[in-house]
Amino acid sequence: MASRGANMMLSRANRIKTKLQSALEATVLEVEDVSYQHAGHAAMKGTSGQETHFNLKIVSPKFDGQSLVKRHRMVYDLLADELQSGLHALSIVAKTPQETSAK
Amino acid sequence: MATINLSPTHSVSYLRLFSSLPQNTSALSLYSPVKAKPSLSLRYISLKPYNTDTDKPRARLVASAVKNLGETDPIVLLAENEAAASELPSGTGVYAIYDKNDELQFIGLSRNIAASVSAHRKSVPELVGAVKVRVGVVDEPDRETLTQAWKSWMEEHIKANGKVPPGNESGNATWMRQPPKKKADLRLTPGRNVQLTVPLEELIDKLVKENKVVAFIKGSRSAPLCGFSQRVIGILESEGVDYESVDVLDEEHNCGLRETLKKYSNWPTFPQIFLNGELVGGCDILTSMYEKGEVASSFKK
Repeated sequence: MASRGANMMLSRANRIKTKLQSALEATVLEVEDVSYQHAGHAAMKGTSGQETHFNLKIVSPKFDGQSLVKRHRMVYDLLADELQSGLHALSIVAKTPQETSAK
Repeated sequence: MATINLSPTHSVSYLRLFSSLPQNTSALSLYSPVKAKPSLSLRYISLKPYNTDTDKPRARLVASAVKNLGETDPIVLLAENEAAASELPSGTGVYAIYDKNDELQFIGLSRNIAASVSAHRKSVPELVGAVKVRVGVVDEPDRETLTQAWKSWMEEHIKANGKVPPGNESGNATWMRQPPKKKADLRLTPGRNVQLTVPLEELIDKLVKENKVVAFIKGSRSAPLCGFSQRVIGILESEGVDYESVDVLDEEHNCGLRETLKKYSNWPTFPQIFLNGELVGGCDILTSMYEKGEVASSFKK
């Protein structure tokens, strides 16, 4: 596992990917930085407007049997550091492999 | 709202014209003497289909293009049958709403008839429920011709029945599209200078337990300040949920709420929606519930 120092050189998107990938054994993991969509908002005044909002799509067997709230919480817990350091919001789509193949 | 004064007359009552014009929110008011007697002296309106006084060829064309009220076929709207509702045109024209006893309740004009009728069905379903809607779609939808078409139906009805439809009487606002008066947001304290006597966490706990649905959002419910909060309000409003809203950005009345609530819910973002004292989730989760049709059943009494 990369040391914390080395990790900070990567972009937030990369850090998110790394953290989620290993912990959730995700079969699908898409991380999209959409901070630009929110940069002008009143609530974002005073921030850099960078790396603040992300869309996440995660397919992981670990979500099985978990309610949506629990799944989101799992993701949030894994990204606690990011949330403390400027990550503002996440749009999360969290599915199990069965749920995606059922479509 | 602008009103058009079509003829200055004294001692007259005016007919209220319902207009749901999404782009144009002015209401049209017509002045004409309406009493409860069958014969009306409508000075500037001739009772013939063509108004030779004004001699406007376009209006003449339209007056003949819109079929008479009596000739127009009704479209029955049954509560269960949504397919019938989709038969309604979404264009401009006049419509007449009959109630379950076949009584004409209201003649209106609209730029989107289907939308107007749908709104009526939501707000006064007991008057529209299993009803006939007579629709005459106008090809040239400028205000003048629309008004002419509306007038011709109104006259026809008055002539046949001797009175104005109840929904069109002056003062009757049943069919008017009012922006719904929204509830005020809940505030935790009256102001920053007021000291809390109980810890904020307790206040939050009490709040979510005493109210069935609580939405902690950024901004107020009438002016949300973030797209996710806006979507949440949109969903709750469209489902007609009775909910309380709290503005987490309001440092004046809800000082420190943001950080405390994150700890309380163990949830790092806003909006947060609580149902029966428990966190349901944020915008994503509510949206997913909405798409599955679960919102009304879970959130409403």
